[in-house]
Amino acid sequence: MTQAFIQLNNVQKTFKQNKSENTVLKDINLEISEGQFVCLLGPSGCGKSTILNLLAGFEKPSSGNIYVDGQPISAPGIDRAVVFQQAQLFPWLTVKENIYFPLKQLKGEPKYITEQTEYYLEKTGLKKFENHRVWQISGGMKQRVALARAWVMKPKILLMDEPFGALDAQTRILMQETLTKLWQDNKTTVLFVTHDIDESLLLADRIILMAGHPGRIAEDIQVNLPHTRTIENIAPQPEFIEAKKHILEIMRKEVNRMIDYIH
Amino acid sequence: MSQLNPFKAKVISALSLITFVVIWQLVCTFKLVSPILLPSPLQIVDTVLDLFQNGYRDAPFYQHILVSTARAFFAFFIAIIIGVPLGLLMGRSPVLNAILDPFVQFLRPIPKIALIPLVVVWLGIGEASKFFLIFIATLLSVIVGATAASQNVPQGLIQAAQTMGLGKASILFRVILPSSLPEIFTTIRLSIGIGWTSLIAAEMVAATSGLGWMIINAGSYLRTDVVIVGIILLGTIGFILDWLIVKAQQKWAPWTGKV
Repeated sequence: MTQAFIQLNNVQKTFKQNKSENTVLKDINLEISEGQFVCLLGPSGCGKSTILNLLAGFEKPSSGNIYVDGQPISAPGIDRAVVFQQAQLFPWLTVKENIYFPLKQLKGEPKYITEQTEYYLEKTGLKKFENHRVWQISGGMKQRVALARAWVMKPKILLMDEPFGALDAQTRILMQETLTKLWQDNKTTVLFVTHDIDESLLLADRIILMAGHPGRIAEDIQVNLPHTRTIENIAPQPEFIEAKKHILEIMRKEVNRMIDYIH
Repeated sequence: MSQLNPFKAKVISALSLITFVVIWQLVCTFKLVSPILLPSPLQIVDTVLDLFQNGYRDAPFYQHILVSTARAFFAFFIAIIIGVPLGLLMGRSPVLNAILDPFVQFLRPIPKIALIPLVVVWLGIGEASKFFLIFIATLLSVIVGATAASQNVPQGLIQAAQTMGLGKASILFRVILPSSLPEIFTTIRLSIGIGWTSLIAAEMVAATSGLGWMIINAGSYLRTDVVIVGIILLGTIGFILDWLIVKAQQKWAPWTGKV
């Protein structure tokens, strides 16, 4: 059997709450090929972040198997970088020190470390702020540092958990562009969790639309938009409108099902 | 609360202090209180000069000050060196916490004076018993604070470190320790306050020098002026210690309160 780059086989995750069991993910089967940019799109509580945590190795599935590049996942590792909703930077380090922290940790060549750090400082527009302490910079800047710190490790996959969710609309557009540029440079496989439909259509090759109670995949959508996208030039395109309408229709169905489920 | 600029606040504090001393002096000058019960500020200045010139009970004055600060500093130092890593570990290891926590929680609220008889029996009346009393008071409070500090490290920071290939030991020293620094400094401030308080208890054990001993000894000869000088010195040294730790916190954990 040939395996996909990322493979989830019959993954199930249940949490015990008091005496009842809460199934967060049920029968998740997912294959992602190398170099794809995939968005996990869905409402809060559909288990999209749980899939990310399972892939990162922060949590273990209750049943089923997860493979990345043929290897079963059981713990966090340097092949899977994570960008969180809060930047999670080290406040005792400067911007630059935060970016090269993982490389120092991996005992890289000093010359390589300097080169890589400089490259990502430039790419993320942080060069001017390299010696700032991270508590002296804005939320958007912090998230840039987090992106650079994740990318500098050259991970096999990049897991992003609503990384721009806490930013204002303007900053978010800037960040999405930075992310697109970084991704086009080295085509790292990205799994990006969001609940923003426009964001997913702007960024992704493929959207995994999820639904809740229990968390499952509702639909697997290919995005056939050209690769250099900005939100203003894709918004009027028929493909964009079509895809957004389609996603909204499925979400509507799920909302109705939820109403029945609650009553 | 409305804002007050820092300079104004300092001027007001200074005026408040001066007014207090002036009232104190007036109360004594007009003999409203017996000088044995309350010596005047001017008398206290005389006493300080006299102590510097002639010492107190066969020992130079500076020696009493040095002996006390040396005892306390040494005990603080060892308590912090042991307490901080142990507390950090307890905060991250539920098993270790379950083993040690009952002892810590039981010993902590005990007034350390109550331990004197046992400490004397076990360690004698030398420096060891004095060290132990200050040490144990500081240590317990450092452990409790460091445990809480390491439990408060954001989970996300630890997860981020895990994805960078850091093992358990690296995470403890390179993430949990620095991340806990702001809280650890606050803990050290509180603990040193508690340790400094127990100096008196320590110097009740067959001492012949030290500020704590000087105060107790002067009390039994009704030398209230010496008692008050001792109290003022204890307060001043404690204040300077606290200020030094605040400065250290600003230098080594400048993000305190900002993240």
